[in-house]
Amino acid sequence: MISNELKQAVLEALKLDDWEFADETTAAQVPGWDSLSHVNVILAVEKKFGVRFKNLEVLKLKNVGDLQRLLDSKLEHRS
Amino acid sequence: MIKDLRDKNETVWNRWCENASAHPDRDAVIHWIAGEEPFRWTFSSLLSAAKDTTAHLIERGIQKGEVCAIILRHNKHLYPLYLAISCVGAIPAILAYPNPRLHPDKFRQGIEGMSQRSGLDWIFTERDLEATIQPLVAGTQSTIKGLHFPLEWGEERGSDSPKKMEAIECTASDSDPFLLQHSSGTTGLQKPVLLSHRAVLEHVNRYSAAIALTESDKVVSWLPLYHDMGLIAAFHLPLIFGIPTVQIDPFEWVLVPSLLLEAVAKERGTISWLPNFAYNMMADKITDEELSGLNLESWRLLINCSEPVRDESHRRFVERFRHYGLRSPVLSCCYAMAETTFAATQTLPNAEPSLLAVDRSELSKGNIKPVAHGGQARICVSSGRPIDGCAVRIVDENLNEVPDGTVGEIAIASVSLFDGYRNYPEKTAEVMRDGWYYSGDYGFKSDGEYFVIGRKKDIIIVAGNNIYPEDVEGVVGKVAGVIPGRVVAFGEESESLGSEQVSVVAETAVADESGQKTLRLAIVKAGMAIDVTIGKVYLVPPRWLIKSSAGKPSRKANKERILAAREDLELRNA
Repeated sequence: MISNELKQAVLEALKLDDWEFADETTAAQVPGWDSLSHVNVILAVEKKFGVRFKNLEVLKLKNVGDLQRLLDSKLEHRS
Repeated sequence: MIKDLRDKNETVWNRWCENASAHPDRDAVIHWIAGEEPFRWTFSSLLSAAKDTTAHLIERGIQKGEVCAIILRHNKHLYPLYLAISCVGAIPAILAYPNPRLHPDKFRQGIEGMSQRSGLDWIFTERDLEATIQPLVAGTQSTIKGLHFPLEWGEERGSDSPKKMEAIECTASDSDPFLLQHSSGTTGLQKPVLLSHRAVLEHVNRYSAAIALTESDKVVSWLPLYHDMGLIAAFHLPLIFGIPTVQIDPFEWVLVPSLLLEAVAKERGTISWLPNFAYNMMADKITDEELSGLNLESWRLLINCSEPVRDESHRRFVERFRHYGLRSPVLSCCYAMAETTFAATQTLPNAEPSLLAVDRSELSKGNIKPVAHGGQARICVSSGRPIDGCAVRIVDENLNEVPDGTVGEIAIASVSLFDGYRNYPEKTAEVMRDGWYYSGDYGFKSDGEYFVIGRKKDIIIVAGNNIYPEDVEGVVGKVAGVIPGRVVAFGEESESLGSEQVSVVAETAVADESGQKTLRLAIVKAGMAIDVTIGKVYLVPPRWLIKSSAGKPSRKANKERILAAREDLELRNA
């Protein structure tokens, strides 16, 4: 389940009005989310939630569900 | 290291053998994988693996002169396979592994188009692509004889293969075709460039002198090997010269741009080639945390190539990394293209490229004049002087040379010029005349240095990749709501990206805001199917687009019109 906050961060980074994200949604399915803009999405999520992802963690992400779980683990670790 | 080729019938394979013999334990290819220890091929282990792979090729009936396409992801076995294909006298051609965004049908069409033009004989790929490519093997529109899956091959080799292999080595000649490169693109519009052993060796000999290459140099690259900059500069140049090259996965680098800096620091890399957008990307997207402990002082040359060079990108890059050991004369530029094997011009090592601040309005008229007080300046960055063996001239539309300080088309004559586009005589005739290659790029000469400022042709360069506007217009023209045939695509400068982005102007009868929003999204999605990100969509009413004399919408005129209209709107809203 993708949180509304994460969805908004991704939409803002990609300058998209709206898009339906499921756990299985991959970057390739989302307009504007290409390899060049991927780093913008990651930086936007890090900034919005005040977290830092490691390089290897970023490389292992396969879909939006992975990004949500990684974000959740960072937030959980922080609290 | 630099040899005179005139007295010797030498092939690239000979040079690899010499290097393996002279420096058997020296690193040849350092195969970089994020988070893991890199795999290190030495010159001798690489050659040995190539010989084993050659035996597999012989067993599979690969013949001299056959074109062997390689479509593999970042894998350490790619390098010996490439060498082995050359060993049997066949012609390797590295093609891009399809991005997940690219629709399988479009990918297949691209391969089919390439096959018709280049005469692809065999495809060496991964099992994942079998279902997509296999239909082409039996197809009447394709020359492809079969697929091979080299990552599944074992270590065993046939008993009589070494003898056969020896015989094949003996038949290789310096004028034989060595490799085939394709310009990028997705739908078969690519032009195949065939290069001989001699052309590549001549180029390496002369270009290595231009950048003062020494045995202590080490190349570090994330560039894809299907691109001339990655293949010639970052792969063939070091392997032929006898120095190591660090190969980073392009897909990993674009997700984590700090990987290049990490590899340079850890491996004490000295030379990298980069397209302009990479300077912006690394300056803007790498955090201090990622840079912690990295020292970049070993980097002596960072060569900007493949896209128009932007001074602003250089400045941002130097400012960002100067506290991490980046030396100020590291910046360098070259002007290169596959048709001349690679570089035609290069700036001097250890000296920053010259800059010229010219008047923008005069430049648009083709004149180079220093900007007057209050005028709008464009900073032009030098791409240097012709390398040895290359001659460059600037010509007008009648192909007559123009005086210094006048904009014209750049033409090149070179000892490492290609032999023409494969099976494409009409396209070759368009660009070659009397031994000169007419590049389709605009530039000017000043004090012996060449400045590249634009393109005569409509091709769009996004992050170093060529995109044909025809490809984009083709798919956008089929989107419901767009008036068929009433679309133009062009490249629009993006300052933040340090590159161009793809923009589209499309005529539509849809006028309401909600309908237009839906249509814009549909157009962007159509671009995704051919792996093109459309950055901007301009929707205009029917009959808005200006037609050329041929009756088709003119890209240049409509680009100027839409950008002027946008500027006007921005001014009114300001």
